[in-house]
Amino acid sequence: MADWHAHFQNEDEEDPEEAEDNEEDIRYAGRDSLIFLIDASEAMFEMNNEDTSAFDMTIQCVHRVYTSKIISSERDLLAVVFFGTQKHKNSVDFKHVYVLHDLDTPGAKRVLELDQFEGEKGKRSFKDQIGHSTDGSLADALWVCSNLFSDVRLKLSHKRIMLFTNNDNPHAKDSSKARMARTKASDLRETGIILDLMHLRKPGGFDTSLFYRDIVSVTEDEDGAAQGRESAKLDDLLRKVWARDYKKKATTRLNLKLGEGVELSVGVYNLIRSARKPTAIRLYRETNEPVKTKTRWFNGETGSLLLPSDTKKAQVYGRRQIVLEKEEIEELMRFDAPGLVLIGFKPLSLLKKHHYIRTSQFIYPEETMITGSSTLFSALLTKCLEKEVFAVARYIPRRNTPPRFVALVPQGEQLDDEQVQTIPPGFHLMFLPYADDKRKVDFTEKTVANEDQTEKMKQVVQKLRFKYRPESFENPVIQKHFRNLEALALDLKEPEEMEDLTRSAAGGAEKKPKLMESMGTDEIRQHVQGGTLGKLTVPVLKEVCKQYGLKGGGKKQELIDAITGHFTEH
Amino acid sequence: LPFPLNTSSIGDGGDAAERQWKTSPRKELTAQQKEGMRMVKKVMLSLDEVGGLDEVFTFRESVERLSIFKKIERKPMTWPCQLTIGSGITINIVGYKAMTEEKVKKSWMSVDAKTLRKEDVRRETVYCLNDDNETEVSKEDTIQGFRYGSDIIPFSQVDQEQMKYKTDGKCFSVLGFTKSAQVLQHYYVGRQVLQVFAAKDDEHAAVALSALIHALQELDMMAIVRYIYDRRSNPQVGVAFPMIKDKYECLVYIQLPFMEDLRQFTFTSLKNSKRGTASEEQLSAVDALIDSMSLVVDDGEEIEDLFKVSKIPNPHFQRLFQCLHFKAFQPDKPLPPIDPHLKTMLDRPQELNASYILSMEQLKKLFTLQDSGKKKEQKIAQQIFKDNDTEEVASKRGRTDDFNIVTLAEGNVTAVGSLTPAKDFQTLVRQKNSNFREVTNQLMERVYQFLEVKNREYYMKSMDCIKICREEAGKAGESKFFNMLLKTLKANVEAKGLQDFWELIVQDSITLITKDEAADSAVNNDEAKQFLAAEEKPMETSAVPEDDGDVDDLLDMM
Repeated sequence: MADWHAHFQNEDEEDPEEAEDNEEDIRYAGRDSLIFLIDASEAMFEMNNEDTSAFDMTIQCVHRVYTSKIISSERDLLAVVFFGTQKHKNSVDFKHVYVLHDLDTPGAKRVLELDQFEGEKGKRSFKDQIGHSTDGSLADALWVCSNLFSDVRLKLSHKRIMLFTNNDNPHAKDSSKARMARTKASDLRETGIILDLMHLRKPGGFDTSLFYRDIVSVTEDEDGAAQGRESAKLDDLLRKVWARDYKKKATTRLNLKLGEGVELSVGVYNLIRSARKPTAIRLYRETNEPVKTKTRWFNGETGSLLLPSDTKKAQVYGRRQIVLEKEEIEELMRFDAPGLVLIGFKPLSLLKKHHYIRTSQFIYPEETMITGSSTLFSALLTKCLEKEVFAVARYIPRRNTPPRFVALVPQGEQLDDEQVQTIPPGFHLMFLPYADDKRKVDFTEKTVANEDQTEKMKQVVQKLRFKYRPESFENPVIQKHFRNLEALALDLKEPEEMEDLTRSAAGGAEKKPKLMESMGTDEIRQHVQGGTLGKLTVPVLKEVCKQYGLKGGGKKQELIDAITGHFTEH
Repeated sequence: LPFPLNTSSIGDGGDAAERQWKTSPRKELTAQQKEGMRMVKKVMLSLDEVGGLDEVFTFRESVERLSIFKKIERKPMTWPCQLTIGSGITINIVGYKAMTEEKVKKSWMSVDAKTLRKEDVRRETVYCLNDDNETEVSKEDTIQGFRYGSDIIPFSQVDQEQMKYKTDGKCFSVLGFTKSAQVLQHYYVGRQVLQVFAAKDDEHAAVALSALIHALQELDMMAIVRYIYDRRSNPQVGVAFPMIKDKYECLVYIQLPFMEDLRQFTFTSLKNSKRGTASEEQLSAVDALIDSMSLVVDDGEEIEDLFKVSKIPNPHFQRLFQCLHFKAFQPDKPLPPIDPHLKTMLDRPQELNASYILSMEQLKKLFTLQDSGKKKEQKIAQQIFKDNDTEEVASKRGRTDDFNIVTLAEGNVTAVGSLTPAKDFQTLVRQKNSNFREVTNQLMERVYQFLEVKNREYYMKSMDCIKICREEAGKAGESKFFNMLLKTLKANVEAKGLQDFWELIVQDSITLITKDEAADSAVNNDEAKQFLAAEEKPMETSAVPEDDGDVDDLLDMM
């Protein structure tokens, strides 16, 4: 049956090419798994100057990862393990290790469970339910983690532990525990488990050389520099977690042929991939269990089932039906073996901004197929950047796919102040249109505005100026969809309010200060009395809370409650 | 005629070329044809003053021209809307799709292999439960749901419709303006490029839009726009930038990604990595290559582009039409080869050929590029495509498996690891060009590492290592070396508090390698026994480490 589906896949209405582009060889890759190993010793709960504790920041971070995984990669397995706890819960009964969640896909219930440890309230409930201890051993915690990995029945492609702590020398007084931790860590490495340190700000600075340098994995694929500095803010931490967690999966690996006998191998990556609203699944009305869909092909006359070999492909032109074997259809799509073939170089100024047909891809050298690729690649990149040229290449991404031409546009590496890579080195692979892709346009005759008019428009433009960043806009359709689901899943009365950034965002830069100014005490009081606080956006409410030194949490209702509470008292 | 042909050249050439193409395209012209050509030429050239024809093609030439199927033309569709900036400025505009990846209009349908009728092929979709019998259920008995992580949430179509994100229909409103440098070309997403003009016959709109276009051009800025095609479609965020041509000026709109679409991959820096850095010589070779493969001719005034992709017809369509055309008349013959003319269009332009070959040779000399033979793709493809033939697959698999074991056992082990040190050691020792002493030292290093932990499990691991080492040393004629190592170990027992481990050695009577066992040893049996026995007394006195052992045992049992 499986073969059947595979065979008729392309019959679907949707664009098969698009589907293929988005598919990342799921068949061969197993599931990705990630364990958050969180230090729960008392030091983690101490308040820092940002008014949060390291623990709280970690939980918020994990929460964000959970919800975003639900949206973007719900197949990934996640787990949360605390160590240095009073109580313990794990399959081998080690003391001071508490498995909150074993490896599984994240769901609504788990998000709620995490919620209870957030904020001030969370600190108390953690103390009551789980408690702290200083007797924990990191080796035990790592042992439990490796058990979690081995308990999973599914094939795991990527095993990662992220260790959150603000203690740079956990076993300072007990060298045997330290030794055991080191040995266990190296065992993990041997089994392909990657251990990352997410070190958090501590007074006096976090010194990785004391203990953790020998513990964490530095694979050749990652920079030592990326370990970088300790994280003091949630945003820093999140950025670090994301950078680590995104496993780079090449869509394909192929050769870039420069000329006769000169080939290097590259991996092709999608740095941007449209996130879509997930497709609905059919459930059986009685039990709410998912049903399977089977598509069958049969002969309309005899009713007998048809095998793929019983059909051929046809098109009608004029009144003539032209029939081809399926193999012939593949053959007519076949021009050459998959790969990139260099045609030549052109100055960057000839790259037209408006010549666009589909999302670009990215290439980076791949040593596994042809050794020495990195050196040639890096030389090409350096020189293309220096000479301000791009390469034109013929690109066949897969077997039996007609060629397209691409511009290989060089991009140099860039690091931020903390030496963390913000822009990777490599070539963007931009698709160039063929003659057929250009359309005739019935343009409107030119009428040129005079200087005065242009000057006035310039003022308007300057007024609405902001700095564009691609991450500044959330997709309102997807966000709304998941908030609806979340509300249903968690039995909320109403879905969480969403700020539609596509309506206000950019202007927000302009509007925000205005709004802040105009929010005088009287106005707020009016809102409180009229019960119209709900009409204000979350950032505005937050700003008000800040103004009056109120703590309201992150939810809109909490903010409103805090403000209402404040103004009814005063 | 089933296909629209490019009729830009001679009027009646179309049919003639058509006829010739169908038979044999490279036939020498007959006398009669030549005569005909002369006639046509005469006729055509006599029209010169009137029609402005300045070229007459031979049949062969027209064949080449005409063998390019006409590019797909579509009528421009107008999209009238209003461009808004804040609440104050509204401009009537009209948008056109200016560029999009064109697809073949017709798709393939399935027909019955015998009757060749599509009516005979029917498709049906059924739903069934996930139980052993695959019980079928009717569509009416199913409802719609969505995954929320591991949970599945029933969410009916009606509810979904009611709760979903709603838009107010058509929209092209400016959210703000940003410097051009902040909108990078590789951010572009979506499948089209829109050109936005002022609405026809609307002077206010024309002036306002022109002012905006010029303002953006002069400030080197772009507009970030919220775009909605119509009531039913999803909102987009995109960029609109000015384009000023001789005949028209417009804004060009292209969609940009949402936060959810971005994936922050980190790649190892190429600068500091040991395998990434190129030498000066290598760099200058690449420099020369880029110069010799330049696709532009710059005569100081104008830059001529030798390879304009946007002038090349999509080879997919060309090939498809060629094959359809062929099959329409010769349904039983295999497909014709790709038209050489089409192939030439897809290749490096002829103008380049001479010079770059030298630079390429230089490159070949300076860079060592070695195929590691790991063409993963091919292996996988083999497995997929041979899936029907089980026997062959079985034999193939058998072979690849063998291959894997060999590589696993020999190719991939390069040092003694801490996970399976004994196995690694054995593998390494058995490799032809291995250095026994070096590998053994690696192994002992691991053993000492394990012993530091003082844990029963690691003791056992160490024991295995030593046993294997003894065995291999005997075979390799390195008994003396082994004996030396064992003596060193013994000497270290006291200092490192390894008494309980030594006890294990005594228990398993791992002695020095004797003369009887290996010819190169100088140790006799008595000496070997003595070696172990001598340590038995101090063992008894040290009772403390045994307690230690208990703790470790407990740990072990957990």
